[in-house]
Amino acid sequence: MCGIAGILNPVLCAETLGDDIQRMLSHIGHRGPDGAGYVVDNGFAMGTVRLAILDPASGVQPFGDPTGRYWLCYNGEIYNYRELRTELEARGCRFRTECDTEVVLNAWITWGSDCLRRFNGGFAFAVYDARNREVFLARDRFGKRPMFYAQRGETLLFGSEMKAFLAVPGFSFEQDPAQIAAILGQWTPLPDQSGFRDIKNLPMGQWLSFRNAELTTHTYADLRFDEGPDVRSEEEALELIRKRLTRSVELRLRSDVEVGVYLSGGVDSAIVATLAKDFATRPVSTFSVEFEDAEFDESEDQQLVSSHLGTHHHAQRITYADIADNTPDAVFHAEIPAFRSAFVPMYILSRRTQEEGIKVILSGEGADEAFLGYDLFKETLLRGSWDDHTDDARRERLKLFYPHLTHYGPEHIAAMTGLYQQFSQEKMPGLFSHELRFQNGLFSARLLKDAGDPFAEISALVAAQACYSDLSPVQKAQWLEYKTLLSGYLLSTQGERMSLAHGVENRCPFLDPDVFALATSINLKFDDGFSEKRLLREAFRDRLPDKIIDKRKFPYRAPDAAAFAARRPDYLDLVLSETELSGLPFLNAKFAQRLANKVLTKPAGEISTKENQTFLYLLSICLLNRTFVRREELPSANLPPLQKVVDLSQTSEAHVSHGNLSLVT
Amino acid sequence: MQKIRDFIEEQFLIEFDESFPETSDLFKEGVMDSFGYIQLVRFLEQEFGIKFSEREMTGGVMVSLTQIEQTVAQKVAERVDS
Repeated sequence: MCGIAGILNPVLCAETLGDDIQRMLSHIGHRGPDGAGYVVDNGFAMGTVRLAILDPASGVQPFGDPTGRYWLCYNGEIYNYRELRTELEARGCRFRTECDTEVVLNAWITWGSDCLRRFNGGFAFAVYDARNREVFLARDRFGKRPMFYAQRGETLLFGSEMKAFLAVPGFSFEQDPAQIAAILGQWTPLPDQSGFRDIKNLPMGQWLSFRNAELTTHTYADLRFDEGPDVRSEEEALELIRKRLTRSVELRLRSDVEVGVYLSGGVDSAIVATLAKDFATRPVSTFSVEFEDAEFDESEDQQLVSSHLGTHHHAQRITYADIADNTPDAVFHAEIPAFRSAFVPMYILSRRTQEEGIKVILSGEGADEAFLGYDLFKETLLRGSWDDHTDDARRERLKLFYPHLTHYGPEHIAAMTGLYQQFSQEKMPGLFSHELRFQNGLFSARLLKDAGDPFAEISALVAAQACYSDLSPVQKAQWLEYKTLLSGYLLSTQGERMSLAHGVENRCPFLDPDVFALATSINLKFDDGFSEKRLLREAFRDRLPDKIIDKRKFPYRAPDAAAFAARRPDYLDLVLSETELSGLPFLNAKFAQRLANKVLTKPAGEISTKENQTFLYLLSICLLNRTFVRREELPSANLPPLQKVVDLSQTSEAHVSHGNLSLVT
Repeated sequence: MQKIRDFIEEQFLIEFDESFPETSDLFKEGVMDSFGYIQLVRFLEQEFGIKFSEREMTGGVMVSLTQIEQTVAQKVAERVDS
């Protein structure tokens, strides 16, 4: 895992760009503390900070081909790189290292953008064609690794994290109310959004080319639900689940450093840990967050899994003070307004993981989206068939939903039935499954003076998808989850942005294309979908304690406003002070103040989910404004040791310097 | 009925005025969610000593302040009559 950054500006010379790229890399140094390297040319520079996992000695970047024409800065892992290498060798490619970086570059040179379809991994990379002065950027199919970019005329900036742009002379950040409205409405940015004006995220499954100020994007992988195997029996389905997940974990254990596992206490990460143990020659290191607040704590189940598998377990206990103290730094790393505080404990956990000497971890993300683990999917099934059920049947189903939310309890079931009745017909074309969630989003959108239609962009996005209208309501719900909550929050804000804040790479076996394709073939084929992830659980029933296998989905959450109300950190002035709020003219300051006062003074039980969410949005928007827009309280930026500098401007041949380059720039 | 207005204004952080009239659909405007709906129903039942039938709660008649006030007034009157 690494971080990359680059700048293309035809009017700047190599020397100036060499200075710029070093400063850009220093802002993302946390992603790759093992070393830095860059390539410069007149008008172009790009570089990498590297977290060395495969072939630490020879995988130094930027990586060039023997002719010096192509250069690669690469972030992530291609898990099937050995198989691709064999294919490429058969076509005449010769390899100098054991690193997947070299496989990626050769695959690009050999197959062009078609190579992307062959990659099984989480990656984002940049290729520079020095002869044509063309840049290519690409990103994996599920949006595991980030790639932000900004074009201004003939200039292109790109980076794994937007904070790299802080180093670019003349570049300023401006929060974009239109994008923020979308984020508030649907919980996360859309795949191409960043929250900042004129900065885009390259959507998952896409690549772009930039040459002579012309930028074009291309899609190489859509999220399809018709590419799985034909599965005829439940027995066959269970066997295939075991087989494909085992292979997925095996591929993701490819590493020259130790790989650990994050245990949430749920069944998904327990399955991952079980399979990791099968391949381990010594006890697997596992990591968990525990909460002082019992409402959120799953430590009993985490310990049960750990002792069952005999793992070397590390538990990080999280207090209100931990959340309050670490939120500003975690938000800075997240870069995107967040609707929960649950990413903050993951920031703390990755620090602990790094301290324990682990650079790579596996986790269970992606299982709920693939195997229908969320109540959202059951809700969609029920609402979609509302008129087919008797009142009693509706109530019986509703009672099963959201067991962690008290207002779904049996004493409120009549009122809840009334609420669902109002959401039993599609009102927002293509977005039926998410209408209840978006209802809460409308409340959050009140933070803005003028929110416009927060759902205009997402409505346009689904309308533009050729095959979307042919999907079933549940598949549409899955599609929306993959494009919003999974990539826009779970994998990013709560996932890799937090782990990479401390140089830890996270890998997700449930995001293997073969595992996803299998899930699309078997979901709702052998059951009605109201027992979440039933097939996945049954596939591993004899490998884990029944208590874990039969455990209901317990959403990973953390104390939200309660933590800030209890600790009252100084930075709450950002959301309470009229003067501070006036610095963000797009906010509805009066509503923001009323909300902040309410959630910080009323008992936690009187604060609704949407109020907690809206408060977290407000706080993170204000914190992002302070660091990115006003450039106050910025954490220090540190360039990892320079290992490689390539100057293409000096001669027609690349001038390459290796080793201790503290004096060579 | 002032109590209902106060409750909604306090609970949902809004103020009824020309820009947000009493006939506004509280769901469509993003004011009400599932938690808030349950809170509102419980408040009305306790405050006015009434009980909503399933039909009333599922009939979409409780979406604006005006409708809520009418429904409550009707139920209070029915209670007095009986």
